[in-house]
Amino acid sequence: MNDGKIKTGTPGLDRMLHGGFVPHRPYIVSGAPGSGKTVLSMQFLLEGIQGGERCLFVALEEPPNEIKQNMRSFRWPVDDIEMLDGNSDVRRFEPTPVIEISTEVEPVKMREIEDRIRKTPDFESHEVTVHSLQQLLKNTFIKRRYERVVVDSMTALKYFCMREFEETLTTQSFMRFLAESKVTSLLTVELPESGDVPPETFLARGEVRLHKLRDETGIKRFISVEKYKGSSHDEFVYPFEIRESGIVVLSAEGGKAPAPL
Amino acid sequence: MLGGGLIPRRPYVVSGPTGSGKTILAMHFLAEGLGRGEAGLMVTLDEPPNEVKSNLSAFGWNLDRLKMLDATPDIKAHKRQRSVIDVGTTLDVRDMEQVGEIRQSSGIRALEVSVHGIQKMLKQEYFGHLERTKQPYKRIVVDSLTALKMFSMQGEDSRIMIQSFLRFLSELEATCLIVSERLKPTVIETEFFLARGEIRFHKWLDGNVIRRAISIEKYRGSRFDDRIRPITITNAGITVDSQGSVSLTAGRLAKLGDAYLEQRIGDEVSTVIERVMKLIEEANKMRVSASDVEHGISRAMLHLHRKNYQKALKTALNAQSVLRERLDRAKQGLPPPPPRAVPPPPGVRK
Repeated sequence: MNDGKIKTGTPGLDRMLHGGFVPHRPYIVSGAPGSGKTVLSMQFLLEGIQGGERCLFVALEEPPNEIKQNMRSFRWPVDDIEMLDGNSDVRRFEPTPVIEISTEVEPVKMREIEDRIRKTPDFESHEVTVHSLQQLLKNTFIKRRYERVVVDSMTALKYFCMREFEETLTTQSFMRFLAESKVTSLLTVELPESGDVPPETFLARGEVRLHKLRDETGIKRFISVEKYKGSSHDEFVYPFEIRESGIVVLSAEGGKAPAPL
Repeated sequence: MLGGGLIPRRPYVVSGPTGSGKTILAMHFLAEGLGRGEAGLMVTLDEPPNEVKSNLSAFGWNLDRLKMLDATPDIKAHKRQRSVIDVGTTLDVRDMEQVGEIRQSSGIRALEVSVHGIQKMLKQEYFGHLERTKQPYKRIVVDSLTALKMFSMQGEDSRIMIQSFLRFLSELEATCLIVSERLKPTVIETEFFLARGEIRFHKWLDGNVIRRAISIEKYRGSRFDDRIRPITITNAGITVDSQGSVSLTAGRLAKLGDAYLEQRIGDEVSTVIERVMKLIEEANKMRVSASDVEHGISRAMLHLHRKNYQKALKTALNAQSVLRERLDRAKQGLPPPPPRAVPPPPGVRK
């Protein structure tokens, strides 16, 4: 069953994926805002850290100091996860030198992240583009070998960093780059509450989707494997909970269909 | 519901349809801060400050020390030679108590609002305030980002502008509430996925009562109450019934019931109309005049077409009874009764 697959770090999800992820491929975690994508991807990195692998978290959506604070309540040993701050600075409207992020930023270990937000310097500002991020990651990968990479989120990358690029093509090339770099990567994608699924999901080798449903008793969360190339997987949608210890998928029945929605 | 409150120094989004209570919530937030001696700033883009002031006077809060930043755009000057200046160059921040009449658009220059202008203005005010009082703004409200997006981002790439604006707000290290209307559920609006939390207002029609409720859609770094809770807006402001529950299905079921009823009544009307048509045919054979009934039935069909079922049924039944009576009399060999005054067709006045 476990033919060279790597564990996802989320209890129950490995069973759904029939063992875990096939290594060195890009995968997508998609879901509505607040469905638990960041937590799931953190657990993915945590699993790697505990197995002695090097892990990188590319933060494009939230400043690293806030991610650190948010993850504190789970009490996970996240100190060794490396974090790359890919948040663009405040844009300036006066002509000031814009520095592409690739020339400046280095990954930082979680334990060294400061509690306050990084301020935009007065005379220059960083700008993140796909191109510069890719360059930066390339340099980083040359220096050190990473096993697991999380990009949070692809939606931010698409929205803020692809101004002059064709979006789908560029996404495809970015994923190709991650695959060639031989890292197992998890990319988070924001889903709208209704309507079409963004095209990124076609490009990845697998997609884990998080669902959020509301009824009188509150928010119900469900997880499903929408696609998984090169492996069999569970077809069912399982409920999951975000507990003190993180995400737990309630698929304990072992392949039995959960209650219909 | 938030498990204690908001995590400080981060931006949050308050969303909901118009008139659901977003601005009032924002004011609660600022009033709470003022009560604790924290400086608060309200950036108003939707309504002029004088209107905000009078709208909120009903609640009896002491907001005199709240700073208002007026960023409502002026009347657009359509003449070309008049210079348009960015609102950022004329800083207009005042205490709530000083807010008077609506600012008149200057005759010579028209203020225009751009994101850049607001950003600059906010920055100036933030540091100016810090210098004057040695106290940074702790709470900032932007009301509303939808207005900013609609009026001030023409031609710019709004996603990047909003990203930058939110980044700017988080670098100020104040807790921000951003009021935004969600326009389309199919589009991921930038502010919603960048904000660290979303408080959503709900408003719907239950029978003939407007009901309001509130829910937390997303809250990073904290657990929260994930149910939708009903709220009431009274003179004391918004009160959340934190134990109450909202049945979403009741509305849906009622709608389903309505649809069923509508279909039934529609069927009923069309059978009556069919019956009257047969009667008209019969009347024509018997050479009984039925032109007024024909007229009535065409009006009934019009009502049916417009889904005005009640009226359609009434008109059709009326036509049916008139024609039946007339046919009965004709069969008995009696002269037809004088034609009843048919009500004039809609839209025609005597």
